[in-house]
Amino acid sequence: MKTMENLSTIRKEAVEKIKACKDNGALNQLRILYLGKKGPIQEVMKTMKDLSKEERPAFGAKINEIKQELSALIEDRRTLLAEKEMAEQMEQEKLDITLSGFVPNVGNLHPLTIVQQELEDLFVGLGYSVAEGPEVECDLYNFERANIPKDHPARDMQDTFFINVEELLRTHTTAVQMRQLEKYHEEGKELIKVICPGKVYRRDDDDATHSHQFMQCEGLVIGKDIQLSDLKGTLDFMAKKMFGESRVIRFRPSYFQFTEPSVEVDVSCHICGGKGCSVCKGTGWIEILGAGMVHPNVLEMAGYDPNVVSGFAFGVGIERVAMLKYGIDDIRNFYTNDLRFLKMFNRFE
Amino acid sequence: MLISRKWLSQYMDISDLSITEIADRITAAGLEVEGIEKMSEGTHLTIGEVLSCEDHPDSDHLHVCQVNLGDRAEQIVCGAPNVAAGQRVIVAQVGAKLPGGEIKAGVIRGQASNGMICSLAELGVDPHSLSEESKNGIEVLPHDAPIGHKDPLAYLGLDDEILDVGLTPNRNDCMAAWAMAMETGAILNREVKLPQCKGAAMQKGNPTELQVASESDKCPLFMGKVINHVTIKESPKWMKELLAAAGVKSINNVVDISNIVMLETGQPMHFYDKDALPSLEITVKDHMKTTYTALDGVTYEIEPEDIMITNQGKPIGIAGIMGGNDSKIEDTTKAIVLEAAIFHHVSIRNTARRLNLNTDASVRYQKGIEPLATYKAMDRAVALLLEYADASGLEDTVIIGSNHYEPISITVNLPRINHLLGTDFSMPEVLDVLQRLSLEPVQNEQNITLTIPSYRQDLRIEADIAEELIRIIGYDRLNATLPTMPATMGALDARQQLRRRFRQVLSDNGYQEAITYTLVSDQMIEDAVMALPDPIHLAAPMSEDRKTVRTGILPSLLGSIAYNQNRSVKDIALFEISNVYGNNQMEEHLAIAISGSLQKSRWQGIDVPADFYAMKGMLELLCERVGFSGKRLTWKVNSKEVMFHPYQSAALYLGKELLAILGTIHPAAAKRYGVSNVVMAEINLEVLLKNKAAKVKYQLMSKYPAVNQDLAFVVAEDVKVGDIMACIERHGKLEKENIIQQIEVFDVYTGEHMEKGFKSIALSVCFQSSVKTLSEKEIMQMRETILTSLKEEVGAKLRS
Repeated sequence: MKTMENLSTIRKEAVEKIKACKDNGALNQLRILYLGKKGPIQEVMKTMKDLSKEERPAFGAKINEIKQELSALIEDRRTLLAEKEMAEQMEQEKLDITLSGFVPNVGNLHPLTIVQQELEDLFVGLGYSVAEGPEVECDLYNFERANIPKDHPARDMQDTFFINVEELLRTHTTAVQMRQLEKYHEEGKELIKVICPGKVYRRDDDDATHSHQFMQCEGLVIGKDIQLSDLKGTLDFMAKKMFGESRVIRFRPSYFQFTEPSVEVDVSCHICGGKGCSVCKGTGWIEILGAGMVHPNVLEMAGYDPNVVSGFAFGVGIERVAMLKYGIDDIRNFYTNDLRFLKMFNRFE
Repeated sequence: MLISRKWLSQYMDISDLSITEIADRITAAGLEVEGIEKMSEGTHLTIGEVLSCEDHPDSDHLHVCQVNLGDRAEQIVCGAPNVAAGQRVIVAQVGAKLPGGEIKAGVIRGQASNGMICSLAELGVDPHSLSEESKNGIEVLPHDAPIGHKDPLAYLGLDDEILDVGLTPNRNDCMAAWAMAMETGAILNREVKLPQCKGAAMQKGNPTELQVASESDKCPLFMGKVINHVTIKESPKWMKELLAAAGVKSINNVVDISNIVMLETGQPMHFYDKDALPSLEITVKDHMKTTYTALDGVTYEIEPEDIMITNQGKPIGIAGIMGGNDSKIEDTTKAIVLEAAIFHHVSIRNTARRLNLNTDASVRYQKGIEPLATYKAMDRAVALLLEYADASGLEDTVIIGSNHYEPISITVNLPRINHLLGTDFSMPEVLDVLQRLSLEPVQNEQNITLTIPSYRQDLRIEADIAEELIRIIGYDRLNATLPTMPATMGALDARQQLRRRFRQVLSDNGYQEAITYTLVSDQMIEDAVMALPDPIHLAAPMSEDRKTVRTGILPSLLGSIAYNQNRSVKDIALFEISNVYGNNQMEEHLAIAISGSLQKSRWQGIDVPADFYAMKGMLELLCERVGFSGKRLTWKVNSKEVMFHPYQSAALYLGKELLAILGTIHPAAAKRYGVSNVVMAEINLEVLLKNKAAKVKYQLMSKYPAVNQDLAFVVAEDVKVGDIMACIERHGKLEKENIIQQIEVFDVYTGEHMEKGFKSIALSVCFQSSVKTLSEKEIMQMRETILTSLKEEVGAKLRS
């Protein structure tokens, strides 16, 4: 049985060579050597004829077994070498993950736009439409229709940029409300729910708290049974959405030409929660808007019968809301467009 | 307006309320107290007598005083130059809290000092109200001041507390202390008693020689009265204290009476020295053109619109604003002429404004005077002159014109008021409030009839009464409800949506939204792009920089670019959406201005320059995103707009309408605005809003492979790539199917290795059919067709 012993030696030698093999080329040569047509195993096979008939089948089976084993070993080795090669390749592709990522440069909306859109979305959700009007306005809509007749001392309160006797830059978005009232009445509608955001102008010198140009958002609701309490409910809803769910509002009597009764609306301070701080000047309350029930004269001038419909109106300063919300201390920042300022408002809130 | 505790205490008992309680309740009722001021402050004060005063042994200005405090004597070191033995003084004892801090026992340069002898300024008295003497040293009290008195401030009448009340324009009646007292009484629910002097001026006097006439239609009522004897002297203490609380200087009894009456009734009065008047003929005039030197010594230019009080044709006062020096009340005055009149508020406003003379009188005329104030004032003045100025020799009152006053009565309905407010006020509580407001309510079932007092000219309609009720009853009674009305659909309109979409696309792509001013300079109007014609100018601009309503946005954005570039910011991308205006015209525009890089990562070598093509691409993207693309958009060379580089600017058309102009800024304009490397565009959003946008459309995706072919050729330098691409598009048809999916330019080259006047273009063209796989032969044919066409149409030569 020398042949069998030879075979064991060949197998042992082959297994060792395969396991020691370091690259694909050498592995291929081993495959050719041991599994090809010329090689030590083929050599041994040639001696099979010297074996007895009884011995031959076992010998043949043994050779097949060895060939299969070596073939499997070679394939395993090939897989192993491929994995190793890939690992080495990847290692060479190592990144320094501390290097800066590529952050796409994105812009954002102006803070006044952010507040305006927030207000629009809030009221659109309540079923309001968004109405706009010209900034170059006529005296009629800015003053007359708003119950501020010529020579009325209240016109002293609004220092106006006049263009000529009849035209001016609107001093409040109330002018838009007056146009809407007229339009809805002409369309025969007795139900109005609009907000009117936009730019307005006053003849003020610009400083930290005054701007000759600023933005307002006014609201107007007209219907058959609109009450002052509805105004309170609506503004309470708005205050909670804009400044937080735990906010409450209070009304203080005030005076506007186009509303009666008129109120100033305070919201509980969102900084201190009402305890008193520098933002609310120790009072716990912050004045955010003016409002009231639409004056019967205003309804009448637009063609409505004040005995049939009533309504409320309110107006909020967009800069004022933005300044409170973000703690901005100088109104001029909104119009300087310093990129350092503008980019502060880059988060979704 | 200023009203003090002493003022109010004349008319009602408020001794149980602190000044802050009063302030809070007045504020809650709509008269906002903007400040509370104490006339003076200090605890542990007493009146002392300086027994001895010796120079401090170790100082050249301090004195060592022994001071009798009534129950004991203390040594006090005092630095005031005017301190002297025998004086009665205000002493702050050890432990006293003064505006400047607490007084402690101490030793000053070796001498014990147990207290401080005070000046009025140290006790918080407004220095403006003090005499020079009082300002410069300790306050020296009269010789009979009670030693040991524990409240020297009250002794001096300096213990008042003053409310500064901000009045809304409908409540200017409260400028008058009497009306303010009525209001306060109603708020605090106190009984109010005003001085009774009705008819005092109407008592029969001697026949008068005074003649009054008006040649102006701006003087509806003028009352005059001669009093032939008055005694000029010091005013009584109460009057001086009230004037001080109102911030008015005491002069003498007669002048003070005119001021007190104005403060009480709101009616300005003027008293003339009768003997200083050239005659007893007073004429109210306007249409004068002259100069006049008033009480303040300033000479004013009088215009025809001004109302003047004249005597013998010469002005003796600017009506309702200021009297003259010649006839003012002096210490020597023996007889006086009283004037109480109504002048038209607009005229007074215009004159006061032009002359920059906002006097107590002119302010009251401008804000409106209640209709009965003139009569009340004359009565009150006569009563006070009789009592405090020994007035005698009264002549009949001369009255010309009338106040045209009819008392107003209105009837309101409680259920309607409750419905307007959303409240449940009961009849008894409503009647109580109306009573407190002196509206004399008379109930008739659910109706209430009211008589409106003359000073409440703001109460006209039911809504006014509703407001009166809720402000007095309190807004805490108001519930929060939501309107009960049919459901409405809230939505943004097309314009509002477009605006939002553009803002979103631009900001997502690195562009920052800006908001700039509407009012601009003439230069900026001249530089506006896509500008509306006929700019609108302000009648009275505040500055050259803000005199005209802008007709385009870009010049303003350039200002913002300059601002940021001046702060070393290189990479800038700004946009603004705004209305622009021309005479009778309004458009909404979008302006974009960029500079530097849009995207950048230096270590990765990424740099997207903010150049012409970035701007062009952004405009294409914006249009595409809102439904405008393909052949509807055309680009044309623009060389007309002076703001742009003549060879780097284009106009974008939607159909035949000009939609936008874009390009690199002209170097001259860049210099003018102090900016560098700016590319900008102005887009007229109206064009997009007018035209129909394409909708999203599903298309079958080809199942067959796409094939890319690179073409490189040489053309003359002035051949436009756009024409080349259009030519390829036109000829890229196989069996009538357009098989060109995309044309991508990947190289444009001029320079070395190129014949002069020629450029090399390299394109990659993507072929794909939706009906079959393209064969090699078909592709080669297509390529040949394209190259032949390019050769014929643009003279292209295939590069070897």
